Order: sequence, then structure tokens, then C-alpha cells
Amino acid sequence: MQQLINTLLIGVSIGSIYALMALALVLVWRSTRVVNFAQAGQAILSTYIAWEVVNRSGSFLMAFILAVAIGGLIGGLVESGLMRVLLKHANEGPVAAVAPVIATLGLLAVIRAVVGLIWTNEGKRFESPVSTAGFVIGDATLPFSRLNLLIIVTAAVVMIIFSIIFQKTNLGLALRAAAYNPEIARLSGVRVATTRTIGWIFAGAAGAVAGILVSPNDSLTPNSLDTLLVFGFVAAVIGGLESLIGAVVGGLVLGVGLSFVLIYLGTSLIFPTTFVVLVLILLLKPAGLFGAKGARSA
Amino acid sequence: MIGSFRKKSLLAASAVIAASALALTAIPAQASRVGVTKTSIKLGITVPLTGPASPGYAKVAPAMKAYFEYVNANGGVNGRKINLIIKDDKYLPQEAVNRTNELILRDKVFAIVGALGTANNLAVNSKVRLGARGVPTLFVNTGFSGFANKRKFPTLFPLFPSYAMEAKVMGTYIKENFAGKKLGLIVQNDDFGQDALKGFATAGVKFDETIKYVSGTQSATTATTWIQKLAAARVEVVYLFGVSTATAAALAVAAQAGYRPQWILGSVGGDATTIRTATAVPVAVLNGALGASFMPDAADTADEYVKFFREINNEYNKGVDFDNNVLAGMNGGMMVAQALKAAGPKPTRKKLIAAIENRGASFASAGLAPLAFSRTSRVGYTGYWIGKYNATGAIIPVEAKNVIYTTDSGNGPVVKGTSKRPALPTKGLPE
Amino acid sequence: MHSPKFLKNPNRRRLLFFIFLGWLLLLIGDRVDELRVYQGALIAIYTLAIGSVILLTGYSGQLSIGHGAFMAVGAYAAALTQIYFSPPIIITFLAAVIITAIFGALLGGGAARLSGPYLAGTTLALALGLPTLANQFEFLGGETGLSFDVGFPPERYGFDFTLYKWFFWIAALATLIMFWVMQNILKSRYGRAWKAGRSNQAAAELLGIHVGRRKVLAFTVSAGVAGLAGALLGMISIVSPSAFPLSLSFAIITGAVLAGLTSLAGSILGGLTLVIIPEIAEAISKNVSESEAVSANVPGLITGVLLILTVLFAPNGPAEQWHHHKEKKKLKAKSKGS
Repeated sequence: MQQLINTLLIGVSIGSIYALMALALVLVWRSTRVVNFAQAGQAILSTYIAWEVVNRSGSFLMAFILAVAIGGLIGGLVESGLMRVLLKHANEGPVAAVAPVIATLGLLAVIRAVVGLIWTNEGKRFESPVSTAGFVIGDATLPFSRLNLLIIVTAAVVMIIFSIIFQKTNLGLALRAAAYNPEIARLSGVRVATTRTIGWIFAGAAGAVAGILVSPNDSLTPNSLDTLLVFGFVAAVIGGLESLIGAVVGGLVLGVGLSFVLIYLGTSLIFPTTFVVLVLILLLKPAGLFGAKGARSA
Repeated sequence: MIGSFRKKSLLAASAVIAASALALTAIPAQASRVGVTKTSIKLGITVPLTGPASPGYAKVAPAMKAYFEYVNANGGVNGRKINLIIKDDKYLPQEAVNRTNELILRDKVFAIVGALGTANNLAVNSKVRLGARGVPTLFVNTGFSGFANKRKFPTLFPLFPSYAMEAKVMGTYIKENFAGKKLGLIVQNDDFGQDALKGFATAGVKFDETIKYVSGTQSATTATTWIQKLAAARVEVVYLFGVSTATAAALAVAAQAGYRPQWILGSVGGDATTIRTATAVPVAVLNGALGASFMPDAADTADEYVKFFREINNEYNKGVDFDNNVLAGMNGGMMVAQALKAAGPKPTRKKLIAAIENRGASFASAGLAPLAFSRTSRVGYTGYWIGKYNATGAIIPVEAKNVIYTTDSGNGPVVKGTSKRPALPTKGLPE
Repeated sequence: MHSPKFLKNPNRRRLLFFIFLGWLLLLIGDRVDELRVYQGALIAIYTLAIGSVILLTGYSGQLSIGHGAFMAVGAYAAALTQIYFSPPIIITFLAAVIITAIFGALLGGGAARLSGPYLAGTTLALALGLPTLANQFEFLGGETGLSFDVGFPPERYGFDFTLYKWFFWIAALATLIMFWVMQNILKSRYGRAWKAGRSNQAAAELLGIHVGRRKVLAFTVSAGVAGLAGALLGMISIVSPSAFPLSLSFAIITGAVLAGLTSLAGSILGGLTLVIIPEIAEAISKNVSESEAVSANVPGLITGVLLILTVLFAPNGPAEQWHHHKEKKKLKAKSKGS
């Protein structure tokens, strides 16, 4: 019973990080119809900056705020500097449809290389801001630590902020309208290009939070967020790729599921399980748990 | 049809480009004595400089290079300066194969020295075929017993006592001292681990819980699952027979979870400095843990070899914390320098191998167990001493430093004896 | 030019061209040093893998960024066939092709229903997930992997015939044969149907072309070719999860994009680029700074920048772009003349 609860708690903690990455991917997808593989790159860059700040100032809070701001800035720059140009040409030629995805792959490679050149590929230790020792209840020590709690709380706060923006503000209304139908949104006076940039900025910030939460107490390398990207993508697909709530639920479901696999079956089944889940979702419920029907078949 | 013609001309053009690219870079056939000039000898090494296994192991090659620089500053070996080329293999067999290819084909080194990792060395030898090429592979940093097979690896010399020997020596100790206790083992799931399991089986030790982890997956998250299993099974004695980072992760998680069994640390992953830097393990956790070693401890400044290597570290390897990895790297370098010296003023690859076969057993080195190189044997060190970690992370002998348990990798007995190590040569230079 | 009657047939001309190419490669293989021979084998293998991606993405419009997974399947299939049955080496390679093709057909059955991003993401997850299975099943050899041993070159080739030259011969020959097969498939009605489906799915459906089935077929063929490339890669290095990392899949798609996704013949440009880029990085790090960080990261930087530039300025590949440019010029010249 104790192990069951432990597994669940760890799952929620790691799942909320997946949810943030999924959120980032969904935000970009809704605004631009592109799966942004460079999201992992953008997040690794902001996370290294956070690492540098923590090392120099010792303040995790400052590092966090700075990383999120820079993450958003990078997102905005990528959209306005690269994606906008690219999408203008998107209708030319037979393979142009895949061009934006390939460009994000290229960007991922560039950012990783730059990070490696600045900070080298050697693993960096990202000190945890809070204790990683498990909570003690009676004479039992749980593997669930203050760090896990911090992760859950931070992720929850970020998600609440997002849901307030999307549900209660005019900006949120414009973002939703632009995602739902850009043409109609434009006709009703929404500046679609601006909302697109804002979507990327939000995505960059969400990805930055995911990066900074997943890194403490583990080794930080230019490639260390690759797996997070894949888990985030799978979580987004579980949720339907269109839905923000879906991304969060998808992340939590995947996190808890993988936590059970990890504890009860072993580490080497993590990726195969993820793949099977992805394929099953795509075959059985192609629109995801929260997505619109018919969205993804060719 | 125009389109098809265009494509063909493009294909032809590419072929011509490929041809000229290949032809222009052609280099005349190799000289008979690869990597050796009148004034220099080129050697190569592959080690993890980055990746999950790199903390600690990344120090081995630079330490070896530092010793060579000391030798070079004192005139080199037979008038030749040693040039060591270091390549990062990330502790991945595939990378090791690629990097070794570069060392052999592009850099054209005379020999490979101190290459690290069981799986990596196996992969390199099966694909680059150093044996068939006649490339000497000296004093690899692995204790896999299979490398002592001269027929299979005609040019390879291991240095460490095998993992099977360690398992036999410690297995015997466990049987004598922890009878009736619940035993646990964490071991790497590859040939390195298999070798240990073989040794434990020979010694007749049975573990109640055996956890096999896959190389590269060691992290705080996976270590949590190990410790949960061991704690749930109420295991009292845990042998950590993995690489440093796996050992460190297990110790850190156990400390956080308040799980305190009697630890036994394998010689591969038992370096206190690495454990301290890889995770936030308080060194005090190590206090009382058992370990086996064939080298003097890096903290044992009374040892003449350790004292000498520490001086070299201060001068040629500035800013690096002296630990067992640095000690191993420099000790390997000292062995290599003696082998090169023994190969004579006009060294060839064959002469180098013959020199170790004939004289390797008497080379001076920091290792406390005797060396067993001969024309018929490729076995390096043949035993261990047993020690206990103190609160600063140094290993203190349970009996005395010179009490050595020698054995072989097969079914031979474990024999208690005393160490007769050669004294440090004058100025620590090859004689 | 008056060509003999025999050469009037384009199929025969193609065959002859490939034979000539093979002969040329063998000549080169005899005249360069072992490092270049080794790199030649790598170029052949990358070219083949890139060809398989172009077949799928360029000709049938499905983006796979996880072809490393198919290569892994091919390599393990070859290694296991060799270990358990040790048939003649050509049978081993055939087995690798067939097994991977079957795997591709199964996957293609599901994937044909997916469009762009879903397919890309799924293949990405596959490339990341599949190789780790080797750690789950004992017979796949874990992280140490399996050794796929094609043996030493036959003795009649002489003592100087090195192992890597043998690898080069096998890889180059296999690649040439496979390209010849692929060219023939593309010239067949299947190939034309793929292209039709790529440029306008609705129109193709109207013409009575079953796009779904064609896509599965493209997946099958592409997987089979990638499987052969994987088996060849396993031959010259080792068959382990670390031999098929995500970066291999990325490298292959990069090569395909640089080669121009729409022309199979451009594959060799991609293969060359993939081998040359690390060489450039090595040269830079030797001359600029002896730092591990430089030689480890400059290849990624170059490939990333090339990818973005290609997509921005020559989305259909440099070759196509150049051709396009020439046609435009011609058109201009014509309109001026008239």
C-alpha cells in the first residue's frame, strides 16, 4: 500500500513536468500547426542560463524567473525570426509541408551545439533548491521529497495562471479564437499574427519551467531534455494535441503510468511502453482524449 | 525523359566528386613502424570524458598524460617523447569503435593504452580487430577476466585483477563474516557484471536480492527503485558492484531514504572522491563500508608511490583533485613507460608485446598484488587487500596493507599472503 | 550520338550505368588508404539510408524522422540470422531486408492513417524507444550488443586486402544494387502513383489510386532499404542500442533534406556531406582549439545551420533549386528572344 502511494506521488510529480512540456507543444501547435521539436532546445538553453545564475548568485528564485522570461523571449524570437518567414513559403513545392518540422529539427541541433560550445558536453550538477531527502512519516521514509512537492506546486501554479489567461481575459479569447478558426478570427478583428507570436512566447515560458523543474538533482547536458520532448509529445497526443486541458491530463496520465512501469517492471520498459501507448492512442482514439474528431488522419 | 537524364548526370557528377574527394586525400602506404619517429611515440586512449559514466573516469586519461609529460620533461623514453591522444567514447561501445578507428587509421598511433570499459574493449576488439592488425592494447582499464585469453586477444594486456577474482576474494570474506545475514547485490548487466556473478558462484555466495541495471540508465530515479526493492526485502548487506555513478546514486538515495545496510563497494565504483562529487552523498555514509582494492588508497600519503604521483599531479595536472582515478591513470602510465623502455631503442609493435611477456611481471608499479605476466599468461595483478572506509572516505586495511589475498579467475583457491612490491624507481622514471 | 540498339532501352542503359559506377568504385577502393576506404563504406551506407528516407518522404510525402529504428531492426535481424543460422552472407542481408520490410508494413498499416506531425512524432518515439528493447531481452545482448560478423575477406584476394576494404566492397555493392532496384520501382506504375498521391491526394483518389495502400507499400519498401543500411552499419560497427541513437535518425533526415528530398540520385550528396561534416569539425578543432567541446559540437552546428538554410532557401534540395533556377533563366532568355 505504501509503495502504491509512493509510486502515485512520484508519478504525479514527474507527470506534471511532462504536462508542462506537452502544454508548450500544444500552444505552438494551436497557433502555427507545427510540432516544435526545437522546444527541447529552447528549454535546454534557458535551463543552462538558470544553472549559470544559480551558480553565480545562489538564488534559485532569481534563476527561475530569469529562465522563464528568457524562455518566452526565445519562443517569440523563433516565431518572428524563423517560422514567419518559413510559413510564407509553406505552399511551394511538394515537400514544403514538412519543411517547418525539419526547420525545428535544425534549430534543435543548432541550439544544442551552441550550448555545448559554451558550457561543454560534460554533465553539470544542478543543485536542488530544496531538500531531496524523502519526507519521514513515523519510522518510514518516503521517496517523495520536498523537491517533488515543489515541482507539483510550481507546475500547478503555472497551469492555473494559463487557465486564467485563457478563460478570463480578452487575450485568451483572441488566442482561442485564432486557434479555432484563424480566418473568422481575423474577420472579427483579432490580430492573428500577434496571437501567433504570443502563443510561441507562452510555449517558450512553459517549456522553460519544465526544463528547470526536471533538471535538479540530475546531470544537465545539452541532450538531457530529449526524452522530455518525446514524453511531452506523447502526453500532448494523449490529450489530443489541440487541448490545453488535454495536455495536462495527458502528462499526468503518462507520468503516473510510467512511474508504475518503473517501480514494478523495470527501467528498460519505459520507452517501449511509451511507444505502445502512443500507437494505441493513435489507432484506437486518434483524436485523443480531448481532441476534435478527424483532426489527424490525412 | 529530360528529368531522368538530368538525374543521371547529377548522379554521375556526384560520383566524380566522390571519386576525386577520395583520390585527392589518398596517403601513401603506412610505414612499417607506425606512430614512432626518432623523437616521438604516438599512443592513443579512449575514455568517457562526457556522459553518465564520465564523472571520475574522465580523470584517468589526463592523469596518464600528466605522467607522460613528466617523463618527457626528463628526456622521454629512449630519447622519444610520448604523445598521448585522448578520445571521448562516452562509455558507449559504438563510440569506442569509432574513436579507436580514428586513432588507428587517422592518427596512426603505435599502441592503444589504458582504454576503459569492458563492453567498449570487447566491441573494439571484435570490430577494429586490434589483434589481427597487431596493434598492442596495453593495460586496459577493465577487470574482465576474458581479456587474459591470449588466443582471442593476442595483442591485449589487462592490468587489473579480474572482477571474478574480486568476487571470489570478497565472496569468501562475506561467507566467513556475514553468515546468516540477508545479502543483496547491485551489478551492471553486461560482461563486467557476468564476470562478477561467475566469481560469486565459484566462491559459493548466494544473494537474496540481485539487481541488474543497464549501463547508462543509472540515475537518482532508477536508484530509487533499487533501494525500494532492497529495503522492502530487508536486505542487511549490500554489495555495489557497478560503475562509480551507479554506486554514488545508490548511496545517495539510500541515505535520503534512511536505509542503512552494511555496504560493500566494488573496486570499480568505490572511489570516494567521485562518489562525493557525483552526488550530494555525505562522505560519512561511507564510514564503515567494506571494500577490496589492489592499489594503495589515494589518501595514503605515507605510500611512496602515492606521494610521488601526488607531486606529479600538483605540477603537471594542476587543479585536479588527486583520487583513485588519477592514481590509476598515472600507474598505468608508469607501466606503459616501462614497457616502451623494455621494447628497446628501436621499438616495434612485436617487440613491445614481447617485452611485457618477458619482463612485465617485474615492472615497478603502485599495485600491491603481484603481477603475473609471462609468455603464457596475460593476467596482470592477481589479488586484493580488504579494507574499511573511514569517515573521510579513505580505505583503511582491515588487517594490514600488505596482507594480500591472491587467486585466479577460475576455480583456484583464495590464498592469503604478503605483498612484495618493487620499490619506486629513481625519480619514478622507467629503468 | 548513335547508340547501339542494345542501349536504346532505358532499363538496360540504367543497368549499364550502375555497373560502370560499381567498377569505378572498386578502382577507387584500391587506390586510397584504409581510413578513406572505411569512410567510403560509411558513405555508401548513409547514401542507402538517405535513399530510403527520400523514397518515403520525397516520393510518397510521409515524413519519418525515426529511420534509425528501421536500421536497428535490420541490424539485429542480420546479427541474429548470422548467429543462429550462419547462412551465406547474402542470405543474411536478404533476411534483414525482408524482416525489416515486414516490420515496416505492420507499422505502415497504422502510420498510413497519420498525417505530418503525428507521423513525425510517432517515428521519433519509435527511434527513441525501439533500441532500448535490447536491454529487456537477454538474447538481444543488452548494451554490449551483438556482434554481426561477416568474416574475413576470401583469401584469394590476397594478404593486402584489408577488412575495411572488404566492408567497403560489400557496402558499395549492396547500395548500388538497392539503388538500381529502387530506380526501377520508381519508374514503375507504383512509383508514379506515390508521386501522384504526394502532390494531390484528392486528385489521386479521383484517378482511382488507392492512396492508403500505396502509402503502406512505400513504407514497406523504405523500411526494407533502411533495414539493409542498418545491417551494413552493424557489419562495420556493432549491433547495440548505442549504435542507433536518435542522432543517427536525425543525421539521416538531415542528409535527405540536404540531398533534396525529391531526387533519389541526390542521396550520395547527402551521404558525402554526413561523412565530410565531422572531418571539417575535426580540422577546425585541430587548427582553432584542441578542445573536445569544439570537435563534439561543430558537426551539430553545421548540420543544423545547413538544415535551416536549405529549408529556407532551397526547400526541395540544392540540386532541384539549381535546376529550377536554370529553367527560369532559360524561360527569361526565351521570352526576351521572342
